[in-house]
Amino acid sequence: MHDTVNIEATGVPMVFVASTEFVDAADAQARALGADPARVFVPHPIQDRTDDELRALADDAIDAIVIALTDN
Amino acid sequence: MSKTLLDPTSERQAGTARERAKRPGGLAGTHVALLDISKPRGSVFLDRIEELLRARGVEVRRFNKPTFTKPAPVDLRHEITSTCDVVIEALAD
Amino acid sequence: MVPDGLVAVVKRACPTCELVAPVLAQLRDQLTIYSQDDPTFPEGLGARDDTALDVSFALDVDTVPALIRVEDGHAVDRLVGWERSRWEKFTGVDDLGVGLPDWRPGCGSRTHDPEVVDARLVASVTPHLHARTVELGDAEDESEAMYARGWSDGLPLVPPTPERVARMCAGTTRHPSDVVAVVPPDLVECTVEKVAINAVMAGCLPEYLPLVLAALEAACTDEFNVHGLLATTWFSGPLVVVNGPIARAIGMNSGVNALGQGNRANATIGRALQLVIRNVGGGRPGEVDRATFGNPGKYTFCFAEDETGSPWESLAVERGLPAGTNSVTLFAAEGVRGVVDQLSREPESLARTYAACLRTVAHPKNIFVWDAMLVVSPEHGRVFRDVGWTKARLREELDALLLLPAEDIVRGASGIAEGMPEALCEPGTTLPKFRPGGLLIAHAGGGAGLFSAIIGGWASGAVGSEPVTREVRT
Repeated sequence: MHDTVNIEATGVPMVFVASTEFVDAADAQARALGADPARVFVPHPIQDRTDDELRALADDAIDAIVIALTDN
Repeated sequence: MSKTLLDPTSERQAGTARERAKRPGGLAGTHVALLDISKPRGSVFLDRIEELLRARGVEVRRFNKPTFTKPAPVDLRHEITSTCDVVIEALAD
Repeated sequence: MVPDGLVAVVKRACPTCELVAPVLAQLRDQLTIYSQDDPTFPEGLGARDDTALDVSFALDVDTVPALIRVEDGHAVDRLVGWERSRWEKFTGVDDLGVGLPDWRPGCGSRTHDPEVVDARLVASVTPHLHARTVELGDAEDESEAMYARGWSDGLPLVPPTPERVARMCAGTTRHPSDVVAVVPPDLVECTVEKVAINAVMAGCLPEYLPLVLAALEAACTDEFNVHGLLATTWFSGPLVVVNGPIARAIGMNSGVNALGQGNRANATIGRALQLVIRNVGGGRPGEVDRATFGNPGKYTFCFAEDETGSPWESLAVERGLPAGTNSVTLFAAEGVRGVVDQLSREPESLARTYAACLRTVAHPKNIFVWDAMLVVSPEHGRVFRDVGWTKARLREELDALLLLPAEDIVRGASGIAEGMPEALCEPGTTLPKFRPGGLLIAHAGGGAGLFSAIIGGWASGAVGSEPVTREVRT
């Protein structure tokens, strides 16, 4: 999340993608940093998935990712 | 120790956290940076994101963090922000 | 509730209070004793704990020991310090303090300790503060946090904690919830509290707040048109010129480097105004602020006129206020331009220097629309003082010198496309460089230097800005 906060501080929109395991940690980090960065979560797990499953996660996430980068 | 300040603004903005950077409204004509945090399997995810974006006619550039254990080095951030308009970082798990 | 009858207020950290402990013991049956710092003092007399100082404040105790007669919860009579004869008369008890000296002065009450006074001030103001609180994240650096939220003009800010804002609010008798002005561009009702928050961030002391309030009031008038000033592509920003004894009282600079850096009041009063416009009004560069260049005065531009050294009446007096009134005059100022004239001994010659330079404000061929301020230095002021030229006399001279031939200023003249429209430029006529009231004259600067300053203004008239003078109320 530091990367997102740092890059957003320069005026460049950013979204980070993480597995659902990270929802609470991300919220806590966000509060600690006084920020509310754009974030998209994909269903855990990641490591065990096949390539096709990972590509499917990407297909499901792309719309949310684009909205996070374009919606004001 | 967390600090309390009084808001110097008109308070018309809903939140008090730092604001997000202004979004471009659409990705057409932008350069999208894909920043891989370099955890295993993340590149497969990002490969597919790259395909999907290219199919939408968007320029994509790939970057890799040296390690997912630390924030991105300053030079890498500068390279990204000076060559790209928006950034996607993935995939933390 | 303080009981009726005799009350004594003491503190252990007071030699006279210690001295009279035996006297208090003698009087114990008719006395209620309050201790400001240690309820075990005096020993064995059942002293009540007033370390919170509520009773001491309620009874207005300035000096301890205080011996107070209370009726219906109010102090109706009192003695302070120790004096046997008076204590005996007050209490009706003889032979008090046998063996003690006849009298001893008291000590300061804890109610006047600076930390106590400050804590009490903060506690009394804080319930009246209603601004939203901003909780910084644990991992946030407070300086970075203010930058990150867009509150800064680019320079660091003082974090506006509730305590600092409470202290700032005490710089005025106005209530924190009083609306000071409606601030453009977002047309926000700005309270004293919101000004105070930005004044804290700017680095102001509480005693500067009344000037910031007056400057904001002046800026937000229709005449000054701070909205237009903000939105223009022109260079100008608000300049605040201070008149009256308050300038010296708060230590403002009207002398060496008066228009420059280094003086806290000069620096922070101008800055606070700009921060209010930015943060409360929502006026920021790149958004409503479209200035092509801007100028460094948009960080802050505020100085005090040098009145005691001036050959003339002050800017404020010339503009209609009684001498000795504290005031601010707002002017839509671009940058400072230097004028050198080290050889003019005669006022006519120096006036011609001024006219030649004033002519070039905005453009040598453009007239009437653009305002200007001439700041005359002490050394130049002497040229006029030595021969008894009043400010009005100088104005008269400048007005005549700045009547420009129509043929010279019309568009195309001198091979310059810019200029005045033909319709205005009847050949053989002359036209004034400045509109009536468009040239302000002030006096400031260090004692050495045969220079004066010209500060160009902005457009006047319906879409422009009119200088505005506003009285400062404390």
